[in-house]
Amino acid sequence: MVRLPPLPGPLVRFLLKTAMRDMMPAAAGLPGIADTDLDGFLDRLFREATGLLLLGLALGAVLWVSLPILTVYVPLPSFWLPRKLRQRHTERLTSTRIYAVRQSVFLLKMYACMCWGQDPAVRARFALAPYPVDPGTFRTT
Amino acid sequence: MSHTAFQERGPTVQVEADYVVVGTGAGGAAAAVTLARGGASVLMVEAGPWREPKDYAHSTYGAMRDMMDDWSSLITMGRALWPVVQGRLVGGTTVINSAICVRTPADVFEEWQRDHGVGGPELAATVWRHQDRLEAELGVEHTAPEAMGRSNELALAGDAAAGFDGHVIQRFAKGCEGSGQCLQGCRAERKQSTNLNYVPETLQRGGSMLSCAPAERILFEGARAVGVSGRFQHPQTRRRGAAFQARARKGVFVAASSTHSPVLLRRSGLRHKAVGAGFRAHPGSGVFGLYDEPVDQNRGVTQGWASTRFRADPGFKLETLAIPMEMAIARMAGGGAPLMERIAGYRHMAMWCHATRARSVGRVHVGLGGRPIVRYTLDRRDMETFREGMHRVAELHFAAGAKQVVSGIYGLPPSIGPDELHLVAQGPLDPRNYVAILSHLFGGACMGADPSRSVCDGRGKVHGHPGLYVADASLMPDNIGVNPQHTIMALAMMVAEGALAEGTLAEGTLAEGTLAEGTLAEGARA
Repeated sequence: MVRLPPLPGPLVRFLLKTAMRDMMPAAAGLPGIADTDLDGFLDRLFREATGLLLLGLALGAVLWVSLPILTVYVPLPSFWLPRKLRQRHTERLTSTRIYAVRQSVFLLKMYACMCWGQDPAVRARFALAPYPVDPGTFRTT
Repeated sequence: MSHTAFQERGPTVQVEADYVVVGTGAGGAAAAVTLARGGASVLMVEAGPWREPKDYAHSTYGAMRDMMDDWSSLITMGRALWPVVQGRLVGGTTVINSAICVRTPADVFEEWQRDHGVGGPELAATVWRHQDRLEAELGVEHTAPEAMGRSNELALAGDAAAGFDGHVIQRFAKGCEGSGQCLQGCRAERKQSTNLNYVPETLQRGGSMLSCAPAERILFEGARAVGVSGRFQHPQTRRRGAAFQARARKGVFVAASSTHSPVLLRRSGLRHKAVGAGFRAHPGSGVFGLYDEPVDQNRGVTQGWASTRFRADPGFKLETLAIPMEMAIARMAGGGAPLMERIAGYRHMAMWCHATRARSVGRVHVGLGGRPIVRYTLDRRDMETFREGMHRVAELHFAAGAKQVVSGIYGLPPSIGPDELHLVAQGPLDPRNYVAILSHLFGGACMGADPSRSVCDGRGKVHGHPGLYVADASLMPDNIGVNPQHTIMALAMMVAEGALAEGTLAEGTLAEGTLAEGTLAEGARA
């Protein structure tokens, strides 16, 4: 198992939240990821995920925030963009021709979807039963 | 019966048995129970923890954390980065798959004999004999109509219209309720994963097990395998614990999967070029159909319908596959408000998939920290087959009444109508344009008649290393075009039976004729 040194938590958390909120905003009558327990999800993720996975997610978030210069030709981080421009950045980044960027964003999207899709209100919207708490237990004897 | 889970740092844990079996998935558990039924003492060594059904995760996040190998972070290193899906817990991938039961097709044995000098009618007869037993013991059933769910019903309807010669899947499941929780493990205990049957039976027959115990090296005395060593690892914190040493009086079985078995062999000093070579897979991808009516694909059996009509030519299998919503929606194109608009239609979507019998060959290497690295890229011919698989799935959706399909192919419109089906048929051939996974893995420690080109002989014995056997999918010198669990289990039983025969014959207590009839296990049981 590969263990990497702890990532700078608050900064990575801010970047991940920024990217995930842009990825899954409230729209089409659905709650956005900001309406779910994103902080709680990130707490779990930071506590439990492998260093390699966190590194991949952090990389995706850094790309997300830093690439408006390539997507909408504005040299600002994505969180300082006006709403419409930020939306255009999101659309262009998620459909970029650069495979490595697309894959990084896909990893980010996968975990954003996990956070969003396990929210009881979201599951109810799709007629799915809420998830009980994952026990995380195993046999010790 | 004895089970030792994670041990904190301290004195080395020493254990001994007739046979040490590394891995408790389809291959390892089938080999272990066969050895135990033959009267041998068996020690199972499993990298992951032992989770009872009550311990299974509910959410997809929990399944990734608790059940997948390293959060499912193993990806192919090639032109495209495709995830390799494997379980890491007692029961291995049988806990998280759909337990689809397909007998090994006869042509597989002919191909293995022609191309690798192993197989033929004798191997076929042996494998099928074990498959008879597996089907009886594990209660193979066709999914009942009331457990099918709307997605599978639509596939049956589409099949009737398109003429794909499909069928209701038979699975190692007793009275499946259609809870749609195969990926997170069946808490209802209907799916017959090996942690519910062969592992407990091995323990009841006097066996023992180390869990949370990734084997790092095979121990040798001269060329002979005499055990394995490693260090316990906590499944939550990944903290390393005490060292362990498992000594084998008669033999060591390696059944840690097509990615981990070659790595274990390589790390143990087997420098043969065939170790890690011959990696093959069934790369697969899905297409959503968008229907007027709600489908609610997560209600009903995860996989209930399949077609093998295209298995031989061009080489893919079609199946329904209802993955959890969180994973399904991540496959939809785009982000922001357009993504949410697509997700809003999720209740009306059904996801069906294809698995390509790819001819491309990859290689498993040892990476950082002993992790496997899989080098694998589909060639153009395989990509044409892969694309044709996508096209056929889309065609089936339209035959079932879908008004649109969502292919997830990069470069195509996010959704496609019936009059645009040609876009999928003429889609890109670059694997980077597809979101795919590798769930059926083969090779890496292949059997073959020629010791210069293979790791094992036709009975799973590693060339040049007495007492060392391979008993999982890494044995298979080619992929088979159908779900491999049934074949893996039968081959593992065959390897174990051969080892028992060798051990017993060495002691001069059993006649060869009895073994040829395959009555060893029954005799021991009686």
